[in-house]
Amino acid sequence: MSVLKITKYLKAGRSKANLWLMLVAVLLSFGASAPRQDEITKEYQVKAVFLYNFTQFIEWPPDAFAQPDAPLVIGILGPDPFGKYLDETVQGEKIDGHPLVVQRFHTLAEIAHCQILFVNRDEKSEWKQIFDYAKAQHVLTVGDVTNFSKQGGMIRFFPEDNKIRIRINLTSVKNAELKVSSKLLRLAEIVEP
Amino acid sequence: MLRRNTPIQQKLMKVIMLTSGAVLLLTCSSFFAYEFVTFRQSSMRELSTLGEIIATNSTAALAFDDSTAANEILSALKAERHIVAAGVYDADGKLFSYYRASRNQTPFPTVPEADGYQFAAAYFGGYQPIVQGDKRLGTLYLKSDTGAMYERLKLYGTIALLVVALSFLLAYLLSRNLQHGITTPILALTETAKAVSDRHDYSVRAVKQVDNEVGVLTDAFNHMLTRIQEQNLALNESSAKIVAFNQRLEQRVAERTAELEASNKELESFSYSVSHDLRAPIRSIHGYGNILKEEYASVFDAEALRLIQTILRNSKRMGQLIDDLLAFSRLGRKELMRFDVSVQDIVQIIVEEQKSIEGDRPLEIKIEKLPNAFADLTTLRQVWINLVSNALKYSRDRERSIVEIGSFEKDGALIYYIKDNGAGFDMKYYDKLFGVFQRLHSQKEFEGTGVGLAIVQRIIAKHGGKIWAEAKLNEGATFYFTLSGMSSSAVAVNEN
Amino acid sequence: MIHQEVEVLIVEDNDEDAELAIRALKKHRLANNVVHLSDGEQALDFIFGRGNYLGRVISQLPKVILLDIKMPKVSGLQVLQAVKSDPQMKVIPVVILTSSEEDPDIRKAYELGANSYIVKPVEFDNFSKTVADLGLYWMVVNRI
Repeated sequence: MSVLKITKYLKAGRSKANLWLMLVAVLLSFGASAPRQDEITKEYQVKAVFLYNFTQFIEWPPDAFAQPDAPLVIGILGPDPFGKYLDETVQGEKIDGHPLVVQRFHTLAEIAHCQILFVNRDEKSEWKQIFDYAKAQHVLTVGDVTNFSKQGGMIRFFPEDNKIRIRINLTSVKNAELKVSSKLLRLAEIVEP
Repeated sequence: MLRRNTPIQQKLMKVIMLTSGAVLLLTCSSFFAYEFVTFRQSSMRELSTLGEIIATNSTAALAFDDSTAANEILSALKAERHIVAAGVYDADGKLFSYYRASRNQTPFPTVPEADGYQFAAAYFGGYQPIVQGDKRLGTLYLKSDTGAMYERLKLYGTIALLVVALSFLLAYLLSRNLQHGITTPILALTETAKAVSDRHDYSVRAVKQVDNEVGVLTDAFNHMLTRIQEQNLALNESSAKIVAFNQRLEQRVAERTAELEASNKELESFSYSVSHDLRAPIRSIHGYGNILKEEYASVFDAEALRLIQTILRNSKRMGQLIDDLLAFSRLGRKELMRFDVSVQDIVQIIVEEQKSIEGDRPLEIKIEKLPNAFADLTTLRQVWINLVSNALKYSRDRERSIVEIGSFEKDGALIYYIKDNGAGFDMKYYDKLFGVFQRLHSQKEFEGTGVGLAIVQRIIAKHGGKIWAEAKLNEGATFYFTLSGMSSSAVAVNEN
Repeated sequence: MIHQEVEVLIVEDNDEDAELAIRALKKHRLANNVVHLSDGEQALDFIFGRGNYLGRVISQLPKVILLDIKMPKVSGLQVLQAVKSDPQMKVIPVVILTSSEEDPDIRKAYELGANSYIVKPVEFDNFSKTVADLGLYWMVVNRI
């Protein structure tokens, strides 16, 4: 599970990603000018579930929470692609006594506490600021934009074989003093830039 | 250490070995049985443990929908030979990933069944929930063959056998060395007993080696020997007395026998000299009388001749009387010497002799089958001589003497008979028939001394047999006799 | 009297028995020269040519001796023994005379060398049979 696999995924990822884009393009050109609501939602349903799942496979340091029963916040920075789905997924769930809540932010400054941050901003210039924040605040940054993880984002969703795969930037994760379960690591592509 | 195995040592060792063998076997088989019974449980436990591990490891893969990773995890089961199939079902019950051992061809269950593990005939397996936190993500299906179990049992069996064998060996060695404590005193006692019985030496004593029951036995044995010695002494004394007594008895018997023999001898010489001396004058009377009759017949008239005849007749009779009397008395003293004698031969010769004595008189003597007899030759001859001559004498007045001699079997006894067609006798006087000097006819009718049949009866009696007769006046007589109660079959045996 | 050619020597102490015997013999011409002696001593003297008979030519042996067993003084058995143990005289056939067949002395006589026996009285029948048995046939032939 190593260099070979990573390179294979990368290669496949490349072409498969291209395929995806092509497909989207075709679909776009054929039909609705707006992206199909259910398709996108489907992809983000899965991502929403994954986001929820992350809470089970990642350990935050004790000082990430104010109190033992402080909520575990899943934040969305930028436009919310999940709709109500993420809310439904985490509804009523608790992790280690921390109830799960979803919060939406427009800007970084709005964030009070957050453990997972889904970054849905294209502005790469903003990313550095976000990642530094994350590192300091023990926030797990998740994105699905190209090079997200290469640039310092911790987890990136990327499509492969009609599935959502995960790429983890282990350095960023470690820097933020977050522990990722080996079970999750095993599934993911590790990137250490 | 072990000279040779005596039966008691063997027996003891056998007992020990059998006991330990039985104990071992019982222990091992109960252990075995227990293992067999609990193996199921332990196999299940192992499988469920494995299931738990796999399930835990598969949570992420299932959560993140990574069937490849899930397959990888399952394929690690290849290391466990006995797992034939494993499968992960997602929360909707669809088969998410699977592992199948190469030899396994059976399809996977389409939907997972209830949680838990079960035993089937050749397989066992079950379903394990895959849980992350408190969320059930899916189900793990595991199927194992029972090879492990049998391997395990085989292993146990081998170990058990090995243990049993070793223990047996150990038991043998131990028992061989330890049984001495029991057998040595017993063997010592046995040796002593043998010595006593072989050499009849009652002064030997067994050495008491131990203080247990064997010791008690030794003491009792020694005590017994002492008693035997004492009794032997007493016996010897009394037997010496008996011997002395016997000797005195013997002496007395010898003395009496000598006396008897002496008196017998006296009788013998007495009767011999009596007969000799009695005979001499008779010889003279008879001889001179004959001379007168033959050479001076011309001088005598008829009356004188008749007188001379009378003298001669009487002197002859006297001689007969003396001879018969002597013979009769001699019988009492005679010892019989019995052999297997041919009665046929004896009778034939006697008949010829008697025939020639009778001269030209018409005779018909028929001799039937006469089997051999176990008898004294001389006296038996005497019997036949007397009987045959009687038969001829008493049938002299018939035109033709018809005599029949033969034998038959009755009630297992052999009976000889002689039948004549002579004068017979009145059965009224039967009890006089065999009496000494008793006659049933006058001298004028038939001459005789009246001793002949008495002699015959005496001889037959001496042989242990019986003689009897049947007759009718003027119709002849038949005399029957047996010898010594020996049946014909016994005689036949003798012949063979 | 010195006899020549003795044919039969009768040694018998009972004169009547002897007379009867001689009569029988002579009557049937069984023997011509018969000598009768009454006791054993005389018999031995005669046979061996001693005592009263000293000078007799003893080489002329009797053809047969009829010897009574029971005799006083020197018994018949003693005579028999003397005769049968003498190398010259033992060839003479000796017939012993007995009053009964069951006489136990008969056996003794045989042991001492007797040739045969005759139950008294000596008559034609038993004498001729005996001498025939002894092979002295010529004695039986009738002679004038």
